[in-house]
This record gives sequence, C-alpha cells and structure tokens, in this order.
Amino acid sequence: MKTITFNQIKTSSIALEFDEVIPDNIYTWDNSDFDAYQVPIGNSRFPITDFFDIVIEGEAESPAEVKMVLNGDYGRVKYIGCKMSAGEIIVNGNADLHAGAEMSGGKVTVHGNVEAHAGREMSGGKLEIMGNTKEFCGASYIGEWRGMTGGEIIVHGNAGKQCGECLTGGSIHVLGDCDILAGIHMTKGVIEIDGNVNRWPGGQMKNGNIIIHGKVGRLLEGFVEQGIVTDPEVQGKVYPGKYIEYKGDIALNGKGALYIDAEKNRDRLSTWIEEDDEYNAIRVYREQ
Amino acid sequence: MEYILKNGIVYDPQNEINGETMDIFIKDDQIAESVSDDAKVIDVSNKIVMPAGVDVHAHVAGPKLVLGRLYRPEDSRMGVSQKTKIERAEAGFSIPCCPTTGYRYSRMGYGTVCEAAMPPLEAKHTHEEIATIPNIDINPVTLFGNNWFCMEYAREGRIEEMAAYIAAMLRVSKGYGVKIVNPCGSEAWGWGQNVHGYDDKAPYFDVTSRQLVVALAKANEMLGLPHSIHIHPNDLGHPGNYPTTVETLKSIKEIKKSTKKAAKIRDQTVHNTHLQFHAYDGTSWKDASSGADKVADFINHNDYVTGDVGQVTFDETTTMTADAPMEYDLFQISGLKWANKDIECETAAGIIPCIYSPKTPVGTLQWAIGLELFLLVDNPWQICMSTDHPNAGPFIRYPRIISWLMSAPRRMEMIENGEVHKWSHKRTGLAGLDREYDFYEIATITRAAPAKIHGFPDRGALTPGYKADIAVYDVNPNDFDPSRNPEMVERIFTSAAYTIKDGQILVKDGDLVATKPSHVIWTDVKGWEREEAQVLNEMMPFFTQYYSVKWENYQVHDHFLSNPIKVEVPAK
Repeated sequence: MKTITFNQIKTSSIALEFDEVIPDNIYTWDNSDFDAYQVPIGNSRFPITDFFDIVIEGEAESPAEVKMVLNGDYGRVKYIGCKMSAGEIIVNGNADLHAGAEMSGGKVTVHGNVEAHAGREMSGGKLEIMGNTKEFCGASYIGEWRGMTGGEIIVHGNAGKQCGECLTGGSIHVLGDCDILAGIHMTKGVIEIDGNVNRWPGGQMKNGNIIIHGKVGRLLEGFVEQGIVTDPEVQGKVYPGKYIEYKGDIALNGKGALYIDAEKNRDRLSTWIEEDDEYNAIRVYREQ
Repeated sequence: MEYILKNGIVYDPQNEINGETMDIFIKDDQIAESVSDDAKVIDVSNKIVMPAGVDVHAHVAGPKLVLGRLYRPEDSRMGVSQKTKIERAEAGFSIPCCPTTGYRYSRMGYGTVCEAAMPPLEAKHTHEEIATIPNIDINPVTLFGNNWFCMEYAREGRIEEMAAYIAAMLRVSKGYGVKIVNPCGSEAWGWGQNVHGYDDKAPYFDVTSRQLVVALAKANEMLGLPHSIHIHPNDLGHPGNYPTTVETLKSIKEIKKSTKKAAKIRDQTVHNTHLQFHAYDGTSWKDASSGADKVADFINHNDYVTGDVGQVTFDETTTMTADAPMEYDLFQISGLKWANKDIECETAAGIIPCIYSPKTPVGTLQWAIGLELFLLVDNPWQICMSTDHPNAGPFIRYPRIISWLMSAPRRMEMIENGEVHKWSHKRTGLAGLDREYDFYEIATITRAAPAKIHGFPDRGALTPGYKADIAVYDVNPNDFDPSRNPEMVERIFTSAAYTIKDGQILVKDGDLVATKPSHVIWTDVKGWEREEAQVLNEMMPFFTQYYSVKWENYQVHDHFLSNPIKVEVPAK
C-alpha cells in the first residue's frame, strides 16, 4: 500500500488540472518524479511542488494499492480522479469541476463541496461527496447522449440542476434535496433522492427509475399516474414505504418509472387534484 | 525552389504511366520538363509517386459544418492534439475543425477537395471557412437544385435565362459548378413534404424534379462549365430507390456535351454523387437488398455518366446534407438529436449523428453496396473514391477503403468471420466479387478521375506545366502484395512519405513540416453580361422583398476569397 499525501502550500486563481495525477499514472512515482512533474494550469504548466508538499509512504505494485490524500482547499483543482480505474483518492476539502469524471474504477471521496460535472460519464467505481454538488452530477459530456454508464455516486448534501442527465446505467443517491430536471433524458439506471425536488424530475426520460422520498414541487405533464404501490422493488432493491408510481415521459413514448413518496405528496393524487386550486386553474384555462 | 524526385515508381493514369521508374522535376510551383543543376534531389527510389489526391465530393466548409460542430461538441473532443510549432491544435473526428481538415488531408497526400454544397446565401461564410483551411485547394459547388428562380425557369422552359442566372450566381457566390441536392425535395420540405420519385412535383412551383434537372443540365452545357451537373438525386437512402437514380441519369442522355474549351477536359454530362445511397432495391428495410448491379450496369453502358461512391466506413459520424426531409426520416429511425437549417429561397439542410455499425443489417448492407459499386463499375474513370465526408464516414478512412478494394481476401474474411452482419452476403453480391484494384486503378479513382470530372486543367496528373501537387507513399509495389497486407496498405496511404503542394513540401514521413494558405477555385463565365443583367433586373423586386439580406451584402466580394484561382469560361 502506498499513501501519497498532498499538503497544499498555495492556491491558484486559475484552476490546476489533475487528470494526469491519478493512481493509474503515479503508482510508480517517487519524490524525484513529482519534482520533475509540471501540472497544467490554464494554457501553461508549472511545477507541482510549487503548490503542494508531497509525502510518499510505502510501495505499490499496481494502481489499486495507491491511496492519495489531498489536504487543503481544492476548490480550484479540476479533474480530480478523472479517468482513474483503480485506487483511492480522499479530498479533505472542496473540489472543482469534473471530480471523478470518466472514472471506471476505484473510489473518490470528497469531504467538502464539489463543483459541477462531478462523476460525469462514470463507468464504474464509487464517488462519494460529503457536501453539496452543483449541476450535471453524473451527467454526460455536453452534446453527448450517452451519459454515466455504471458505478455509484452518493451525494450526502444537495445536488444541482440536471443531476443524472442522460443516465444510461449505474446509480445516483442524493441524500439531500435535488434541483430541477433530475434524470433528464435518462434511459437506464436508478436515481434515488431522499430530500425534496422542486420541479420536473425525469423530463424526457425514456426508461430507468427515479425514487423520491421527499416532496415534489411540480411534475411534467408527460408523467401518467399508475396508482399507489407498496414496497416497490427496483433493480433488485426494495424501497420500503408507499409510493405513487408514474410512467413517463409519454412525450417521448418513454417507459421510465417515477416513484414519489405517497404520504408527502398526497395532494398530487388524482383524487386530491380535483380539489387543488392550481390544477383547477390550469384546467379552466385549457378549456377556454 | 527546384526539386528532383528521383527514381520514384510513378503512377499517373492521365499520362498512362503505370508503375514506371522515372524522375519528376519541380520548378517553383509547377512540374517541369527539366531543372537546373541547383535543384535539390529527393531520393524516392522504391517509393510510389502519384499526383496529389483530388477529393471529388466532401463537405468541409460551410454553414452545415458550423451547425454540426455546434451541435456535436462531443465529436470535437475526439482526435484532440496540442498545438506544435507548425500546427494549430487539432480537434474533431467526423467534423474536424477547419485547420485540422487541411492537416489531415495533407497527411494522406491530398491536394484538392471539392466542397460539395454551398448555398449562395451562405457563400460568404463558406469562403471564410475555406480561408481558414490550410494546405488544400477547394472548389465549392453552388446549390441550385431547390432554388426558387431555377424552379420557375425550369417550369417555363427558359433555359437561356437559367444559364444567365447560373452564370450570375456563380460570380455572386464565387462557386465552381452546379450542385443539385434532392431536386424539388428540399423545397417541398418547406411545406413539410418530400418528393417521391423523379416525376413528383414540388408544391406551389408545379415543376417536377425531372424538368428541373434536365433544364439545369442544358443550362450547364449551354454555358460550357468545366464541371458537369453534380447531382444527389431524389429518394436518398430509401429502399427501392435505384429506379429513381437510373431514371435521373437516363434523362440526361440526350443532352449534348458542350464543345467549349473549358468543358473539353471532362467526358461526362452528369456526375452522380454518393451512388451507394441511391442503389437500393426492395420496398422497405425489411426486404431491402442491393441494386448496385443495376446502377453499375447502367453506368457501364453509358459513358456520359460518372459517379462517386459514398462508402460507409463503420464509424460514428455526422450526417449533414441539403436533403432536409431525408435527415428527418433518419431522425425518425434513429431517435438521435436532429437539427434543421432552412436557407430561405434556396435550400434546406439537416444534421443528425449516425452510427454505422458492422453488427447492424442496414449499415452492413450499405457498406456492401458501396464496395459492390466500386467493383462492378468496369471503368475506374467513371467511379471515384468518396465517403461523402462526413455522411458515410470521415475522409480519414479513405486508406481503409483502399485496403478493402485492393484485397478480396480481406473482404471475404470480414464476411466469413462474422465481422460484418450476414446481410453483407445474403442481400448483396459482394461475396461473389473477387476483383482487386491495383495501384494504377487506385491512382485513377483518387486522383486522375476526380480531376478530370471536375475539369481541372492544372492538376490530377504529373504533366509538365501542371501544378506541382505530388504525393509519395513509402512502399515498393514490385515486391509488395496489397492483397495479403491490407493493414499495411491502410498504413501507407494514411501517412504519405511526402506531400508536395504547389512545389512546397508540406508532409514528410507522415508528419506535417509546413503549412500554406489554401486556394479557392471558382468559375467566371464571360460573355453573358447582358443576359445576366437582364435576369438580375427581373429577379431584383422579388429579391428585395423576400430575401433577408440586401443584394449588396449577398454578393461575395473579392476580398472574401483566399488566393482565388479564377477559371474563365469564354464567351458563347
């Protein structure tokens, strides 16, 4: 087992890029390699030792035996763990864009907040974020219609907009709240949200599953109520409790399943909607 | 600067030089009879020397490309490399950025590329992009197949006015020739429709695509343009479309080729592009099969027709064409993202990403039909290499296509070991074809024939006085069997030992050593000024009322052109 500890000396207002500093590349490195390495910053490169005091302990035969500990503020360090396939990275602080992007194995843990595009296009491994994250967590690359295909993302805080966009496999679990359009364009996989969702979960989803334990603000019109289900089983896992099940998004002939907690969303049941002012207002408007 | 390419094994089909060992002399930007003693000697013994490649049909510059790049950022991140002292950064796979396009063509030994669809309204933009593509000369052909004025002239049978209009628009857009895409169909798309078959009418204009194509062909020959009409017929990609293709070609049969000097170089009166997409039999995708034998048979019996193939290469690519209704049909099948671009009174284009997989029946059928066309058309001067870049595959796959053409065992291996879907031999006759191209025929379909078809008087051959556009490939054809070494064939044609453009060495051993600005080639028709003025006068009220730009801004002025080469077509 080899532990490489990065103790931050100074920060940079222009982001550092860490996609080369992953266990797959550095498991054989010793101090002289780090002294010689220049880290990309903007359109240039600078010695990594200007920014970090690097301590190496132990030996590693393979990337899987590497543990990287990143101490300090990594709020301006992008691509932490990007494209890694094995090993472990622990960030004791915040992380910038694309943390854990395109990773295919190993584990990344961030004990802080993470910027957007965390876990983008992951195909394996585990990304755990103890704080909040921003937009496009577990999403696809811009323009790409094939997003995260495997692995697991756990967000202990809140997630931003379009979490799990174009999800084509794997699972995302948000323990906090989630912003609009979670699981937009998703075709496979599971998104579980413990907190509340303000609007539009599963927009244009074709397949896959979304489970929401909190309150849902507004649903898209493309979701059709299927009734109340108890203890639904989704991809081999049972989610205890009562849920309202929806199918959608029918705008795209989608067959995705959306489960929302029945107790917290009673007002959403069709029997309740009859008495709901907002929906009545929309119906009256449409009938005009 | 003077050079001698010493002891190369030369393939120059236009001069009927087939693998002779000889020296090529270069003086400044031209090939010369002899050079002085100061000339620098480049030893190319045991290497193949050919004229630089000429791409007969590709989409490399213009509004569609920009829309495609905006629309597919995920394509741009493929093939990224950092800038060097010579090159700017590269990016993109199926729709590479402009400099990358030039670099990649150069590395394959190409020197000239035809940009196959330029709407006049977006001509300025096309020329701006051409100016940023280095190393290759580009001749953009202007779209006329859904032009409102052309449709009106065709309906009324006013061929002379149409010729004058074409002459004027070539000058306005600085275009090289007449391109027709899904005649009447892209206009019908403006009404949410398409035309089906050759005798279907565009809504409102009351003109069939037959009338329009025949009129454009007559006008083209009346003007005596260097290139014939360049047509993408109706019903692209629909099973059972080969009769439309044959009908289209047949209708041009009676039209006499112009006797003018500029038109003398070419033999054809119609060039049918990406024939592969137009050679399907059957009634639906369920019973689709190859119609390549019928199309090839027609071409073999009619020497006024040339074509290029549009070979599918099994890649994830981007389809983009001025055939907007077809793109919408494709979108309905694939469900991937779709973009549409309407060009007012001129045309309409569509874009969707497309994945040609060897595991799918349709992609494999298209692949096999393309190869069948290459192998069934007897005369290599009538069929050219193309992937309709980027529609059937990116141009960087030409070397792989060459390896398929030169190796029947490789094709059979793909069919037999299940590398491709079984439709490749169940629905086509590919498995029964054992023809193999030799280097002379490869030189014909990639250089000599495209140059002749486009009517270039200065390239596509190693004749003294021609431009010194030369490619050298590192293989000795006398002790090399391409049939048994397809990977090697692909490798040697992917990275040229030397690419020389205008007498300047741009590529050495597959690496770029220099870049140079590109030229744009356009046709200037002389002697029609009075008729042109009349026609423009007549169209101006309509133009002023309905076009979204002013006439003054519509025209491509000279300062927009990057190093123009003007091809003058003299008076009637």
